[in-house]
Amino acid sequence: MLILVDGINKSKFTTILDDMYKLRARVFQDRMGWDVRVTNGREIDEFDELDPAYVICLDDEYEVVGCARLLQTTGPHMLSDVFYDILDGEPPLRSALIWESTRFCVDRDRLAKGTARNSVSYATCELMAGILEYGKNSGISDIITVIDPVMDRVLKRSDNAPYGYVGKTAQMGKVKALAALCDCTDERINKVRAFAGIEGEIFLDEEIVIAAEQARNPGIMESELHSYCDEQLLCATTERERSDALALKDAITEMLRARRMSDA
Amino acid sequence: MELIDLAATPEGRHDFVDYLSKICNTLDLDYASYASANPVSGKVVAFTTYPDAWRDHYMQKNLHLSDPTLRSAARSIAPVDWSRLEQTKAFGNVFSQAHDFGLPDIGMTVPIRGPYGEIGLFSVTSRTAPQKWAKLKKHIIADLQLSAVYMHDRVMKSDHLLDILRYPALSAREIEILQWVAVGKSQQDIGDILSISPRTVEVHLRSSREKLSALTTSQAVGRAVSMGLIYPG
Repeated sequence: MLILVDGINKSKFTTILDDMYKLRARVFQDRMGWDVRVTNGREIDEFDELDPAYVICLDDEYEVVGCARLLQTTGPHMLSDVFYDILDGEPPLRSALIWESTRFCVDRDRLAKGTARNSVSYATCELMAGILEYGKNSGISDIITVIDPVMDRVLKRSDNAPYGYVGKTAQMGKVKALAALCDCTDERINKVRAFAGIEGEIFLDEEIVIAAEQARNPGIMESELHSYCDEQLLCATTERERSDALALKDAITEMLRARRMSDA
Repeated sequence: MELIDLAATPEGRHDFVDYLSKICNTLDLDYASYASANPVSGKVVAFTTYPDAWRDHYMQKNLHLSDPTLRSAARSIAPVDWSRLEQTKAFGNVFSQAHDFGLPDIGMTVPIRGPYGEIGLFSVTSRTAPQKWAKLKKHIIADLQLSAVYMHDRVMKSDHLLDILRYPALSAREIEILQWVAVGKSQQDIGDILSISPRTVEVHLRSSREKLSALTTSQAVGRAVSMGLIYPG
């Protein structure tokens, strides 16, 4: 199941976003060895400050198990500002109808093997279908996605082979990266859905996710503490203040978790 | 932040408000507006086809400071249906006043992000019933995205300094494809010549058209020729 988090609703999903940043740190730094900046166990870069849209995958227990980040190609995005090696110094595509997808990942530790719900394969396809559907419903014709050769093979295996590539495969730290094109058409969406056996609506209502979050983290006290931490984070003006605020947030989250364990 | 209405200035009025009216006529919409802040001077420019009475009221009450169809929508990458903003207090405030002027609250804002991080907001409204609106929206959403960026680029280029900064940066691949178009090759042919799929050719062409602010491929070819980027066919 997916939840769409963007600049409009992100204040309602701070825990989910935080878990997503942690997942990205585990995947891109720890597992894949990308040259990304991780602070206090969270991978956050300057594009996260630009109000991107996140398609976030949740398992049946509403834990974050996958994510992808979308930005318009008309404005600042990774291919224009970071991944220029892929484009060999050439200017990127710029179109109202093309979005860029980056930081696509799933949680291999939490998700099961096989192809059933809550598996790596299913979550991957759900995310792909979600990106394409959100794009299509927004009038977007194509997605350009920055991926590594492994992900490229995953796309091909999932009946979702890119129809084209832009630029070349470039070395990015320890790994290679390339830019692939996928069309946001019913044909492609149906193929991905059919491959994984995904049926019906894949995006969850905001209210359902909020209710599930509250059920997982009961207590007024807790939500007050969380909003205090988030306020501190928002008010932070220097890197130092920011990392202090994150450390405080971590400490409080840990404390609350420990308390819940002892209650149970 | 001061709201400057370029519609009241002679040079702006004609082109941009005309363009908005044309979009309304073509896409069966009632009103359209566009607003953005100049990334260099910070001045806000806005154009609208709304009735003068509402425009004056809106500016006098400084409604742009709280209007969620501007402030919230700027934080989305996708077009924002106003129904998503209904629950906010500011929505009730702005639209109860709009209602007094006989204006509809069914609409959508298309946010545009420009290369300097600047944001343009292109809004349209319709008097249709909600069910019809859902259908209409689906039908026109891609056109609206294209029109919004076209309008935004034009407004930005109307500023002399920004016009220089925005010299179209076409990639070698885009230039190569435009050159093949100029000599009369089809997308299929070009795909075969360059060993890429026809859709990849189309994506590059679309990007070139938008970078050159051209509505058609032949217009893009014409502009590329006049800029010396390609040779005439």
